[in-house]
Amino acid sequence: AESLLQQEALAEPASRLQGLRDRDPLTRFDTEVRPPVRLVPERCQRLRCRDDVATPQVDSGLPTAEEAYNFFTFNFDPEPLEEAAEQKKERRFVEDRGVEEEEEEGGGGGEEEAQVEDGGEGESGSEEEDKEEDGELFIDETAQDFLEVKKAEYLGYHSRVQRESEVLFTPSLRTVPTSCKVPENMQPRYLEEEGLYVGERPPVSLANQNILENRILQQDEKWFGDDGRVLALTDPIKQSSTRPPLFNLEEDLDPALQTVYRKALKTRHASRYVAGLGETAGRCQLDVDVSGLIFSHHPLFSREHVLGVRLVQLYDQHLNRQHRNITGLLTDKVVHAFLLVLLLTCLLCLANRNTRRLRDVEQEKDRTLLKSTLKVWKEMKALREFQRFTNTAYKLHLRKQEVNQSRDEQDFEEEIQMELVELQGELEEEYQRKISQYRQQLEEWKAWRKKQVDLLTGADDEDEDEQEEKDLGSEPPKPEPPERQELSLLEQQVREKAARIRRKPGEPILVPEVTLSEQLTYKPFYFFPPFSDVARRSLFVKVLYNDKEVSRTDRRPLGADFRVHFGQIFNLKIANWPESVRLQVFEASGSSSALLAEVFVPLPESTVLTGSAPPQELEFSSSQRVTFNHEGVGSDVPFSFEADGSNKLTLLTSGKLSCCVSWAVGENDIPLAPPTSQTPGGIHGALRQTDAIACIGASGLSDMKRLSKWAAESRLDPNDPSNVVLMQLLTVASSGEVQVPDYFRLEQLQEEFNFVTDEELQKSRRFRLLTLRSQEVVEFRNYKNVPAVEREVSEKVFQDYEKRLRDGEVVDTKEHLDPHRAVVAKYLKKIRESVMNRFLIAKHHFLLSDLVQEDEVPSIGVLGLNIFKLAEPKRPLKPRRKERKKVTAQNLADGNIKLLVNIIRAYDIPVRKPHPSKPAVASKSARSFTEAFVAAQSSQSALHGNDWPLNQVQVRPFVEVTFQRSVRQTTTADGPNPCWNEELELPFSAPNGDYSTSSLQSVKDEVFINIFDEMTFDITEDDRERGSTVHTRIEKHWLGSVKIPFSTIYLQSRIDGTFKVQSPPVLLGYSKERSLAGEGGYDSVLSLSEGSFVTLFITIQPQLIPGESVREKFDSQEDERLLHAAEAFQRDAALRFPGRPCLTTVIDISGKAVFITRYVRPLSPPQELLDAFPNSPQEATELVARYVSLIPSLPDSVSFTSICDLWSTSDQFLALLAGDEEEHAVLLCCYFLAMGKKAWLIIGTAIPEGPTAYVLTYEQGRYLIWDPGRGQYYGQYDTFCPLQSVGCLINADNVWFNTQVYDAPMRMGFDVSRSKLWKPFFSRAFPNPGLSSVQPEELVYRRVDKVAAAELQDRIEKVLKEKIMEWRPRHPTRWNRYCTSTLRHFLPKLEQSRGRDVGDEHRLELQSMLGDYRISGFPLNVPFSELQPIVEAVYSTGVHNVEVSNVEFALAVYVHPYASNVLSVWVYLASLVRTR
Amino acid sequence: MAELHIIGQIVGASGFPRSSLFCKWGVHTGGAWHLLSGLREGQTQVDCPQASDTAFWSHPIDLHYATKGLQGWPKLHLQVWHQDSFGRCELFGYGYCHVPSSPGHHRLRCVTWRPLGSWQEQLAQMFVGGGPQLRSPDVIYTGADRYRLHTVAMGTVELELGIILRHFDKHGVES
Repeated sequence: AESLLQQEALAEPASRLQGLRDRDPLTRFDTEVRPPVRLVPERCQRLRCRDDVATPQVDSGLPTAEEAYNFFTFNFDPEPLEEAAEQKKERRFVEDRGVEEEEEEGGGGGEEEAQVEDGGEGESGSEEEDKEEDGELFIDETAQDFLEVKKAEYLGYHSRVQRESEVLFTPSLRTVPTSCKVPENMQPRYLEEEGLYVGERPPVSLANQNILENRILQQDEKWFGDDGRVLALTDPIKQSSTRPPLFNLEEDLDPALQTVYRKALKTRHASRYVAGLGETAGRCQLDVDVSGLIFSHHPLFSREHVLGVRLVQLYDQHLNRQHRNITGLLTDKVVHAFLLVLLLTCLLCLANRNTRRLRDVEQEKDRTLLKSTLKVWKEMKALREFQRFTNTAYKLHLRKQEVNQSRDEQDFEEEIQMELVELQGELEEEYQRKISQYRQQLEEWKAWRKKQVDLLTGADDEDEDEQEEKDLGSEPPKPEPPERQELSLLEQQVREKAARIRRKPGEPILVPEVTLSEQLTYKPFYFFPPFSDVARRSLFVKVLYNDKEVSRTDRRPLGADFRVHFGQIFNLKIANWPESVRLQVFEASGSSSALLAEVFVPLPESTVLTGSAPPQELEFSSSQRVTFNHEGVGSDVPFSFEADGSNKLTLLTSGKLSCCVSWAVGENDIPLAPPTSQTPGGIHGALRQTDAIACIGASGLSDMKRLSKWAAESRLDPNDPSNVVLMQLLTVASSGEVQVPDYFRLEQLQEEFNFVTDEELQKSRRFRLLTLRSQEVVEFRNYKNVPAVEREVSEKVFQDYEKRLRDGEVVDTKEHLDPHRAVVAKYLKKIRESVMNRFLIAKHHFLLSDLVQEDEVPSIGVLGLNIFKLAEPKRPLKPRRKERKKVTAQNLADGNIKLLVNIIRAYDIPVRKPHPSKPAVASKSARSFTEAFVAAQSSQSALHGNDWPLNQVQVRPFVEVTFQRSVRQTTTADGPNPCWNEELELPFSAPNGDYSTSSLQSVKDEVFINIFDEMTFDITEDDRERGSTVHTRIEKHWLGSVKIPFSTIYLQSRIDGTFKVQSPPVLLGYSKERSLAGEGGYDSVLSLSEGSFVTLFITIQPQLIPGESVREKFDSQEDERLLHAAEAFQRDAALRFPGRPCLTTVIDISGKAVFITRYVRPLSPPQELLDAFPNSPQEATELVARYVSLIPSLPDSVSFTSICDLWSTSDQFLALLAGDEEEHAVLLCCYFLAMGKKAWLIIGTAIPEGPTAYVLTYEQGRYLIWDPGRGQYYGQYDTFCPLQSVGCLINADNVWFNTQVYDAPMRMGFDVSRSKLWKPFFSRAFPNPGLSSVQPEELVYRRVDKVAAAELQDRIEKVLKEKIMEWRPRHPTRWNRYCTSTLRHFLPKLEQSRGRDVGDEHRLELQSMLGDYRISGFPLNVPFSELQPIVEAVYSTGVHNVEVSNVEFALAVYVHPYASNVLSVWVYLASLVRTR
Repeated sequence: MAELHIIGQIVGASGFPRSSLFCKWGVHTGGAWHLLSGLREGQTQVDCPQASDTAFWSHPIDLHYATKGLQGWPKLHLQVWHQDSFGRCELFGYGYCHVPSSPGHHRLRCVTWRPLGSWQEQLAQMFVGGGPQLRSPDVIYTGADRYRLHTVAMGTVELELGIILRHFDKHGVES
């Protein structure tokens, strides 16, 4: 005990120290500075720390107020005080300890101190500390002064226990008597004994129970039950375990829960793994056994080899047959059956007959085989003899089996008899059958006959009888009894057959035998090239699995017998599903090797296993062509056995590869084959979804019925989403449609989730409108503001579009009046559409320059020039032209664009004639100059006649401009050469509000500039009022017009010039002031041209940028060199003369670039044109020109919406009957060439059409320029020639570019031979390669169809009359029949004279007839294309506008047909006003 | 009969190893969707950013769809390409994102990836450019067989899309 106490005493401080050390220093830092380590050094440390703390306080500056106070009031005698305090503290501490010993034990000194400070002396403590501080600061004393060493305090164990026992209660371990536990005066009550269930209490040790009971008793609480025990619940712990104990975890685990450790796998990038091959990867093994190779043909075969191989083949066949011994078998069968037949009669008869037939066939085969074998052998022998050596060892032995002659014959006879008997039986049977049939028919016939007779003799009506007879129908033929076949004939047949197919009796049986025993003749053999080749060749086989080479055999030399033996087995351990196994046979000679053939080996069934699998012989062949110059026959090369080379034979390299592919057998005889259930490729992820059956793991059920049965049995949950596909399939199957739909549904469940059906979506007008707009369909391209609500989109929107779609299919004959034209129009439309589509696509391709506008950096030269310009003197009287601002098309709207037409002056306007004047000149020779002049004179003199209403003026013309149905007119001027100088402004609106370039280009509207004469009639009735009132009526009379298409204005951006007014050949009531022209000869071209002229300036405000031509590079069939030269030529031309057009290649109608000279070729015009004027070539020329001009003109830019000049050939042009100026010019040029003229094509610019093509001819030392579109010609020096500049000349041989200073035809020379003036394309350096023409050899013209023309004439007349009445809604329209018939009579004459110089004559004639009328009118002549232009032309003349009440009209139409449906339409329209 | 307007722009791309990028984009829809107007695919300009590494294209997208079902909701697929100083273009990233299905304005960030290729290809790409590309660009948005690809993450393309739905509520689609 003593030692124990000591131990404890020792242990105590240690534990305290431990406690101190263990304390977290941070917590102490709040009160003390540092955790003391030991009691003694603690002080020192503390002091040091104080130092540490205090020093910075001084350093930091001012002391606190307290410090300052202490400083002055300190008495520097702290020692005893502190000691006392310490002692006091210590004492109290001991006292405390006495009480708190137990709890404080673990606490340690820190807490003690804390307690001290927290206690009542806390303040004093701090004071002490303060004092200490001060002392430390100011009194220099050692640590010993403050410290006192004390021995460790120890309280004796006994005293401590004693003290503790005063405070603590220790429950005893003794059992508490029951009496203490139950309430007083009560016996303990045991519920168990009373029969109540008391659960088992949790087990508690008796000692613990006693302690607890004692304690509870002490505490005096009610914790005891009636039985005197502590209240307790029953033991909650279940006795039996719910979870079975897990012993030896490894073995007994449910296999489903077992896990397997696997190594990290490297993924293989292959698509198809063998299913369930995870752990068995590589367990499948395919054995490929390549055993050998036999060539049945090889390029190195000699002829003899070929024959040998054939022999062997035949022999093999023979052996094969013999092996099976079909013939013998069947013969036996026949014999046996015959015996049976004899016994059992005809039951087996039929079977036997079949067998016999089979045997016959086989026998025949045997015989032919034998025959061909012999033949081959004979050939071979012949060959060996011929070549005098043998290099194959094949030899055929024929073994004869001698047979017993008599017996054989007997057999033969027997056989024949047997067959005969059988045949007889057969025939008999047949005969019986026929007989029975015959009898039956006979019965029927008799019955019918009887009925017939009955009816005939019966007393019924004749009619009924007939009826009956009819019912009975025709009489059935009386049946003929069948005939028996002759027996002798039968026998003959049988014998013949036997002779053919069977061995003759007594003939020895031949058994062929092929051996390899032939002696090879060696001498020439070594010099025989194939042999050395053969020795060099070797072969090997590559094995490819799923198109990957897995291994290859060794090289084996090709034997002299062309057999190779490999005998190698490859074991392929496979992971991927086998798709293909291929063997590639390579032939190597030297180091190079070539693929000879590929053999696909069928994949073995999983039941085909190594060992049991038979080797397969796979045939292969290669189509490679091999030829040798030596004896080898080669491959794919015809050769012959015959000396004369006939009977050629072509053999391909071929052979047999014997190999065997099978699944390997592993240990324990487990086949290493993949499971069969898996369908190849079924595992693929995406496919899996579509393969309903594979999806649920029941692959291999391809039968629908079985599938449905299986589904019913396995009770598939129809609501399981993974079964949806299957359920769908089953519903299809159960509904009777067993077959699977053979289409593939992309989105299977789409339909169920559709909001609306497709039809409804299609029906939506709004969506349709939006789609059409975005597709840039013409009608909707610029449609704005599509309504947001469906009902606001009216059905009408689509009417036009749908109509157009419908019209596309139906040819509208009414519009075109002529079926041919309708077809042409349709064709043209198709071309137009395809070209338009092409350009629409091209339009959406932008270049950088289309998107980025980059101003060019001005060069020094330009800058300098501009600076000089600043210094120039100002010349206000010479205004400089300012460049107008160009506007791009997209920022335009309706009303922004105006057409400015400046009408300056006109020349040679026809002047009026006094109308009822006497027929002054009745001359027929109106063409003569003098008389025409006289006529003019007379007309002038007549002006002063009495009847002239306002007789001061000759004519009062004004100009009316019509564009897009808006009309502007100038003021009225006087005289035949008026000067207006007026600017008219016309609004322009684009079709559909689309101001894009392409749309503007395709505007078809034309600007009509009509010249009218304003006539005033004094209608004042009363002469008395004449002085005070003016009552006049104004009439306007059409004098002529100029038509300028808008597209021309748009492309040219301005049109400036003098134009010839298109005036009718006859103007009733008017005459030319001067009619100088008239003579048809070329002399007249020297003089001023006839006709009126008007000077105009037209432009668009603001200026629009014309579209650029399509940049597309057209493909061409021309020579590359030619194209390059053409490009260079054009580039050079553009560089030297930027403005001059130069054409070398043009685009034909199929969109290909063609060299231009190919278009020029002499083509003869229709014969009737040449025949019309046999004596006058000039007349004929003009007629041809007129013919060409009558073909309607249709600008390409209008039809093709873009600047793209398509040149059609002349036959296409004539077929289409529509074309540009170029086509007209080409055709005219070709005609002229055919007529023996010197003619060229001029590429130049003209007004108003801009860049165009004219024709130049050289006649009688002068050049004539022909306008092909109008059929007119001009001299070179004609001022009014519309041709403004000449770019190049083209004929069939060459292209010449104009390199002269001037390009106006008047100022240049046309002699192309002068190289100074004209630069030829084909020169000596680059001669013409002799380009063939694209034009046809000759043009085929359709005959003139007069009937159709007459029909057309009637229809035009009818339509025009209707139209005129329509245009005059407020007035009645009366037709003067007499006048009409006169006019009609007159029109053919006009056509004959081509509208020239018949005016006077005609007028006189007319006026003499209709003396009482004032007539105004004129004939119009238009080429016929469609009806609409004719109507437009008539409308523009304004004849119908006469509003006099008693006006009458006369309308005559004449259609003159030319060849190929070219029609000239004349419309004569006149208004008649009765003057009396 | 429901309609969907997609109006927005491809703002730009960032986080790519090199700048000078352009983007080919397209919208893929299911069979139930009909394009009423707008372009369903296009290509932006090449943007060479001067200041930061973000290439800005601000390429407008304006599509109007009519649909008869929700299946095949439009998705945008993008290909970011890089044009180097020699004018050669190489693929920098594929990416796709669904067009948002709620109306309103959305800012989308579409991350992109690029096929990695074998080490030889990577080496070649490092020195001479080019690089592996998808044989069929459908893979960008179909997702089938993608597990076989090895890819590198590339930058992100930023999109701003405004979505307007119409009549979807009529068919029971709440948005």
